[in-house]
Amino acid sequence: MLNRRRLLTGVGALTLLPTLPAHAMAPFRLGLTPVFLNNDAEVISRLRAAFSEALGVEVTLEQRRTYEEVTALLLEGSIDAAWLCGYPYLQHKEALSLMAVPVWNGRPLYQSYLIVGADSRAGGLVDLRGGTHAYSDPDSNSGYLVTVSDLVRIGERHETFFGRTIFTYGHRNVVRAVADGLVQSGSVDGYVWEALARAEPALTARTKVLTRSEWLGFPPFCGRRDQMNAPRMQAMQQAILGLDQTEKGRAALSLLQLDGMTVAEPSLFEGIAARMRIMATVRP
Amino acid sequence: MSLLHRIPFALRVPLFTAGLMILVGFLASQQVLSMLRQVQDDRIRELAQLQIESLSVALGPLVSRNDIWEVYDTLDRAAGQNESQRLIFAAVANEEGAVLAATDPRRAPVDSNMAGLTKGAQALRALSVVGDTAEIKVLAPIVYQGRTVGKILTEMDVSDLVAERKSVARVLLIGNTVATVLLAILGYLAMRRILMPVIRVVARMRDSAEAPEPIAQVDMPAGDSEMAQLAKSFNSMVGAIGAKAEADRRLAERERFVSLGRLSSSLAHEINNPLGGLLNVVDTVQKYADRPEVVRESAELLKRGLGHMRDVARATLDLNRLDLEGAILAAEDFQDLKLLIEPEISRQQQRLGWEVGKIACTLPAAPVRQIALNLLLNASEAAGKEGRVSLKAGHCKGRLCLEIADTGPGLSKAACVRLLGAGATTTGGGGVGLRLVRDLVSQLKGSVSVDRAGGETIIRVVLPC
Repeated sequence: MLNRRRLLTGVGALTLLPTLPAHAMAPFRLGLTPVFLNNDAEVISRLRAAFSEALGVEVTLEQRRTYEEVTALLLEGSIDAAWLCGYPYLQHKEALSLMAVPVWNGRPLYQSYLIVGADSRAGGLVDLRGGTHAYSDPDSNSGYLVTVSDLVRIGERHETFFGRTIFTYGHRNVVRAVADGLVQSGSVDGYVWEALARAEPALTARTKVLTRSEWLGFPPFCGRRDQMNAPRMQAMQQAILGLDQTEKGRAALSLLQLDGMTVAEPSLFEGIAARMRIMATVRP
Repeated sequence: MSLLHRIPFALRVPLFTAGLMILVGFLASQQVLSMLRQVQDDRIRELAQLQIESLSVALGPLVSRNDIWEVYDTLDRAAGQNESQRLIFAAVANEEGAVLAATDPRRAPVDSNMAGLTKGAQALRALSVVGDTAEIKVLAPIVYQGRTVGKILTEMDVSDLVAERKSVARVLLIGNTVATVLLAILGYLAMRRILMPVIRVVARMRDSAEAPEPIAQVDMPAGDSEMAQLAKSFNSMVGAIGAKAEADRRLAERERFVSLGRLSSSLAHEINNPLGGLLNVVDTVQKYADRPEVVRESAELLKRGLGHMRDVARATLDLNRLDLEGAILAAEDFQDLKLLIEPEISRQQQRLGWEVGKIACTLPAAPVRQIALNLLLNASEAAGKEGRVSLKAGHCKGRLCLEIADTGPGLSKAACVRLLGAGATTTGGGGVGLRLVRDLVSQLKGSVSVDRAGGETIIRVVLPC
C-alpha cells in the first residue's frame, strides 16, 4: 500500500503539476471542522502550507462549526474537498468520493470511546441512564452514531436514555465537558482522546474510557464524485497522499500524530454502515 | 466631673486642646476611610459591571437557545482569560432559574436550581464590599434583544481590594495617629505657652502667699493682651500688698511709740511726785545744816528718792535699748515691768495682782517685755478707775505662759481682730499696740487667746521656750 502511494505521489509530482490548466490556478478550497481537529491554529496553518506547497496553488481552508455545514458546502460546490467523518460520507455516498484516509498507528482505523469522569463508578453504558451526556456532533460517527446505535442495540431509546444530552461540536470539547464535570459521560473520537492523552495528559487524566467500539474507518478526505476526474482534484488527491513525502507535510502529520495518508475503498466504512442500518430501524 | 476639676487649670486647657485634636484626627480618619470605601465600591462595581456586561453580551444568544456547551465554553474561557483571576465562579441560568452551565459544574450541575446559589448575592447597582469579605457575589439578568433570557451569578475575588483597603487604612491610621499626636502635642504646648502668664501668677501666689513677688520684666507677656494686663495687674497688686505691709510695719512702730508715750507721761508723773518731796528735803538740809542728825536723815531720804528715780529711768532706758542687746528673759524683767506699770496703776487707783514664777528659758527679753507691757497698759486702760489688773507669768508644759487679766468690759471686736489676727482692718478705737503684740507673738512662734471668766478679761500668751 505504501509503495503504491509513493508511486502515485511520484507520478503526480512529475506529470500532473506542470500540465495544470490556467483555471486550475484558482485557490483550492478544502473544508474542515473543529469537530475532528482540535481547532489548533498551528495544525491548520501547517496543513495549509503543506497542501499549498504540494499542490503548487494556494489552498484555502474553509472551517465550519458542524459536519452538516461542511458537507452542505461540499455538496453545493462551495468547496472542492473536505475532511469529513465516515458517517456523513456514507450519508452522501452517492454524491461523494473518497480521496484519502489518514493512517493512524499503521492502520486507517480508529475507535469511538465512551468516556466518563475519572471518579465515575459506572461500569458500562447502562449505568449512565438518566445522566447527562455530551455528543460531539450529530453527524459524527464516533461522537454520536456509535453511542446511539449501541443504545438501540441494547433496546434503549437513545432520545430518552440520558437525562440530558448536549452537543459540543468538538471531540476535545467532549473531553473537557466530561473532565470538568459539566456532563457525566461523553462520546468521543478515540484517536482524538489518545492524541490529547499525549498532548494534554492533565485533561484526559480527569476522564476514563468506559468502553471502546470496534475498529472503524478513519474520517476520510472526500470530494464530489462528479469532480473527481478533474485534474485539480487528482492533483489534490496526490498532494494529500504525498503529505509524508514533504517536510511540511511531515510536520503537519507529526502535529496530528498521524503516520500518513492512504487510498481506501468504501468497504473500509462497513462498520459505520452497519451502525447506520441499526439506526435506520428506529428512525421514522 | 470632680476628677476633671481636680486637674489644674494650666493642665486642663492644654489637655482639652489635645483631646480636641485627637477627636478631629479621628473624625478625619473616619471620613477618609468612608471615602476610600466608596471609591472602592465604585471601582468594584465598575469592574463587575464591565465583566458581567461583556459576559451577558456573549451569553445572550447562547442562553436564549439553551446552548449549554457554548454557555459553558464562554464562561470557562472568561474565567480562564481573567488575568487576575478575579472571576472565581460564574453560573448561568435560564428564565426558569435552571442552571445551564457554571464554571464549576460540580458545584452548580446542569439543570439544578440556581436559587440554592444566590444566597447573599448583591444586585449589580448596589454592589458593595462589606467588611473583610474576600469574595462578592453578584446576580444580574442576561438581556438579549430587549428580553431577559436568563440570569448570571458571579463570584468575584476582591481580596486584593480588601487587602489594599486594609493597607491604606493602616497607613492612614498610622499617619493620622502620628499627625494627631503631633497636633495634640503642639496644641498642648501652644496652650501652655498662652497660659504661661496665668500659670506664673498662680505659682507666684502659691509660692509666696505672705509676700508675693512681682513677675520679672523678662517674663512679662508682650503687647497689650489680656495676659499682659493680667501680669501688670498682678504686679501692681503685689506692689500694693508691699505698700500695705510697709504701712502696717510703720503702724506697729507707731503703736510702740504710742505706748511709750503713754508710759513716759506716767513716768514723768512718777518722777515729778517724789521731786517735790526731794526738794523739801533739800530745803530741810539747807535749813538745818548745823544739825547733823537732820542732814543724815535728809540724805537718807534723798538717796531713797533718787534711787527710785534711777530705777525708773533705767527701766525706761532698758525698754528702748533691749532690742539691740538681745538679752535673755529673766525674772528681773518682770520687776522692771512692775516698776513701769505701777505709776499708771496708782494714777488710776487700781489694784495690781502680780505673780511671777521662776523664769528659765532662752526667749529674748525685749519682745516678751513689750508684749507684757502692751497687754498690761491695755488692761489698765480697760479696767478703768479702781479696777483690778493682774499678771501671772511662769512655765507651763515647758513653755512660757503669760496671763494678763483685767476687770474691764472685755475686748472690742476690732481689738480682738488686731490681737488674734482674723484679717480685718486695724481701724477702730481702743486696744493700742495689740497688733504689735500679735506680730511679736507670731515672730516667737507663740499663740494668743482671749477668755472671759468671772467678770475678768483674760489674755493668755503661750511662747515656746
